[in-house]
This record gives sequence, structure tokens and C-alpha cells, in this order.
Amino acid sequence: MIEVQNLVKDYGPIRALGGVSFTVQRGEVVGFLGPNGAGKTTCMKIVTGFIAATSGAVTVDGKDVVEDGVEVRRRIGYLPENAPVYPDMTVREYLAFVAGVRAIPAADVTRRINDVAMRVGVVNVLGQEIGTLSKGYRQRTGLAQAMIHDPEILILDEPTSGLDPNQIVEIRELIKDLGRDRTVILSTHNLPEVTATCNRILLIHRGRLVADGTPASISAAQGGGNTFLVEIDPRDGAHPVADVLSRLPGVTSVLPVEKAGAIGEPFRIAAIGDTDLRPAIFDLAVRSGWALIEMRRERLDLESIFQRLTQS
Amino acid sequence: MRNVLTIARREFFAYFGSPVAYIAIAVFLVLLGVTFFFKIPFLLPKDDFFEAKEATLRPLFEWMVFLFTIILPAISMRLLAEERKMGTLELLLTLPLTETEVVVGKFLGALGFLGVATALTLAYPILVTVLGNPDPGPIVGGYFGVLLIGAAYLAVGLLASAWTGSQITAFLVAIVICAAFTFVDRLPEALGLRAFEATNLMSFNAHFRSIARGVIDTRDVVFFLSVIVGAVALASHSLESRKWK
Repeated sequence: MIEVQNLVKDYGPIRALGGVSFTVQRGEVVGFLGPNGAGKTTCMKIVTGFIAATSGAVTVDGKDVVEDGVEVRRRIGYLPENAPVYPDMTVREYLAFVAGVRAIPAADVTRRINDVAMRVGVVNVLGQEIGTLSKGYRQRTGLAQAMIHDPEILILDEPTSGLDPNQIVEIRELIKDLGRDRTVILSTHNLPEVTATCNRILLIHRGRLVADGTPASISAAQGGGNTFLVEIDPRDGAHPVADVLSRLPGVTSVLPVEKAGAIGEPFRIAAIGDTDLRPAIFDLAVRSGWALIEMRRERLDLESIFQRLTQS
Repeated sequence: MRNVLTIARREFFAYFGSPVAYIAIAVFLVLLGVTFFFKIPFLLPKDDFFEAKEATLRPLFEWMVFLFTIILPAISMRLLAEERKMGTLELLLTLPLTETEVVVGKFLGALGFLGVATALTLAYPILVTVLGNPDPGPIVGGYFGVLLIGAAYLAVGLLASAWTGSQITAFLVAIVICAAFTFVDRLPEALGLRAFEATNLMSFNAHFRSIARGVIDTRDVVFFLSVIVGAVALASHSLESRKWK
């Protein structure tokens, strides 16, 4: 659907993008991740046709963003960084203006505005001048603007910046919901955001793509293991716990870990490949007469992957 | 075309939704009134309204042109510079619009302001018609000329606004260009030289005077239309070339 080929962008002597290529399929929710200045925003500006690449090409449904700019932009809803809006217009006027340019039939405009206002939560400020709104409302107004024509592709540059934690959760839910039937590309340097909303990550650093895949596949490729944390109270059951655990198929290591306030014996268990050990551990605990105090698959440590990949 | 009108409407209401338009129009009308009714020697043609004992609006139009060289750059300065500063240019240019549509729409919105400001001076021809028996030719020609030269100023101002993210810079650049091209016909005289054709050909004022005489010459109209189309096209081009920076 979106094809980016060997994108290079120079701002004067500074190379912002040094040959980025990727393809985004319909229905993917892609998170652009990277430190500030990595090239995320530049890449989005090129895909949306605001700036042109020094070399390389971007096509959307086979249409070039430079040659067929207007046609491509019709299909895209874009929330630029910092959600620029016209402070002198009310939210309703602003959305009506964008709806006008988006060629939404006049009869549908009011319905569409109410519809998107409901989804992003700006219904109660529709009549207010945007200049008087808080950052959170402006951000959501920008998001409403991007959704007004029900686009197939949404490109959101830091959609949750400036929002409070409750609003962030709301917007993430909205993005997940949108991602069900359309393509979403969002940029962020907030790691939990990516794991919460995206099914694919593009990690970009110094204008280059350094990782591309699902959180799990990136973690695996970076040597991040498939690990489980369990805490077991052996009571009168089979002993020693670590030996019994290590005999489970697929287990590569069982290491005791420190845990404050532990009731039983906490371990970190590593397994090969993608094997989910949890059902096996549960059955084993039942058979061995252990109390299973806690068991979880360890969250992907995106943070350390992010640091490892972006500190070179 | 639809898109152009959507942009134009937004620009027009942006002017009249804020104090800018009202202040500019008030300043314009007050200064025009003062200079029209009271003899102010600076720059004014000899025939002042009461002493001339002649029902003519020539001094009025001359003053309108002079005031326009200051007021219209103040109106046009925000057109693109403000969008650039606020970041809304990114919003506008990532909508399914071409640069030309954006620029032409903005020009038409500013032209709407010019239309309103000019229409509010219609009290003068009404007054002159009530008091005397003026020749309608120069009045119609005068208004036509004023609108053309005003549109040319706005186009130049739009171009200046496309060059920069600073409204003040856009304002000053536009004033300098507008004033230079308007009064260039006086340059040889000021330098103690004989008048020569080139300065007259370039001068907005010379073409304006020719139209304001009431005899509309295609060459003068074509001159202004070329300036307008040229400046708007350059503004559009300047917006487009920004992409490759």
C-alpha cells in the first residue's frame, strides 16, 4: 500500500535520511520509533508530500507522492507534529474548512464533524475558538481533522504529545480501533505507546532503519530471550524446584532471581524460540503439588533494545 | 476552483473575524478623509477639493494609491508568512490542494478585503455627484485603476509573504517593492533629469493615471494583469521550491 524506496533527504549539508526503505501493508499499525532528530518526522513529511526527498521514491497504491501528490493526499489523513491549527477559528469552523477542502458533500459535513468530534472527544468544545483550548484539545482537534474524510491511511506525528495520562489511554484506544480497518503510521519516542498500539515497529536512528518487525521479532533478532518469571512455593511438593522446572521441554535455563517480598522461590526461565511455557509450568505445578504464586511472560524489554540500537 | 474559493473564503473571514481588517479600514478611511477635505501640500496634486471648484475625484484616487502602498502590504503580509510561522502551512499543503490553488485562494481572499475597503469610499463619488456634475468617465476609470493597482500590490505582498516566515519582513519588503514601482516615474524628475519612457513603462502610478483619466487603454490593463499573474505565479513557485530545501 505504502512503498518507500531508498529515501534520502539532505537539509543543506545535513543528511536527515540516509536511504530508508520499507513497505506498509493495508491494515498495519506501524510505529515509527527513534530518538529525537532520528528522521521520523522528515520521513512522514515526505510520505505526505509536504517536502520532497533528495532521492528515492514513495508510492501510495502505486501512485507517486510527488507526481500524483493531490491524489495521494486525498487518501491520507495527516496529523503533523505539534498539531498546527488556526487559533482564530472555532473547532467546528476549522473542521468544516478541512471538510470543504476534502470535498465532503455539504449535506454530510455536519454529520461527519459530529461523528469525528465524538470519537476524539471534542464535542463539548466544538463552538470554542481553538486558540483558547488546552494543548490536549488542540491535539485532538488535529486528530479530528485527520479523520474527517475517513481516510484509508492515517499518518500521525506524535499523536499523544501534550496529553495527560487519561487522554493518552483514550487516544491509544482510538488508534487501535482505527487500525482495525485502515493503515496507521504513527511516530513516537514513547516506548509503551508502541507496544500498546502497534503491530509493527520501524526503529529509525540517524536517518537509517535499524530494526523492522513486530516487538517480538525485533527482540528475538536482537538476542532478547523468550523468558518467563515464576514464583513457586514448593510447600511439600517435588524438590528441588529448579531441577524439576529445567526438565520441561523447551527450557534452556532456570535461574533464581531476587524479588522483594517473595513468598516462594522466584525464577527466571528461558525457553527456546517462541515456545510459550506457561501452560506447561502450570500443569507441572499442579502435578508437583506446588503453589504457583506468580507467573508471567516477561515483557519485551523494548527499552534496552531501543537503547542498544540507538547508542551507536 | 472549488478549493480556491474555500481558501479564499477562509482568508476573507480571517480578516473580518479579527480586528486587523477593521483597524486597517478605519485608518484608511480616516486618512483619506483628512487628506481629501484638508489641503495637505505633501504629494498632493495642486487641485485640492474645495479650491479646485471642480467636481473631480482625482486627488482622492491619488491618495488612495498612496495609502494602499502602506495598508495593502500590511494586509498581505500574513497570507503565507503566518502559515509558515504557525506550522499550518504543513496542514494546508498536505491537504489535497495544489500550491497554485492555495496561493490563488489567498490572493482572492485579500482581494475581498480590497473590495470592501474600496466600496466604503463610494461615499465620495456620491458626494461629488450631489454637489456638482462630474464627468463619470474619470470616476469609473479611477475606481477601475485603484482596484487594479491594489490587486497588483496585494500580489506583490503575497509574493513577499511567500518568501519569509516573518510578517514584518514580508511587510517591509512589500512596501519597498510597491513604493519603488509606484513612484519610479518621479525618479528622473527628482534627479533633475528629463523624463524618459522606461520609468513610465515600469511605474504603477503612470499606468494607474492613464486608466484614471477615464480612457481605458488595454496596455495599462495588460500591464497590471501581468504584474498580478506574474507575482502570484512566482509565489506559487516559491512555495513549491520550499519542498526541495
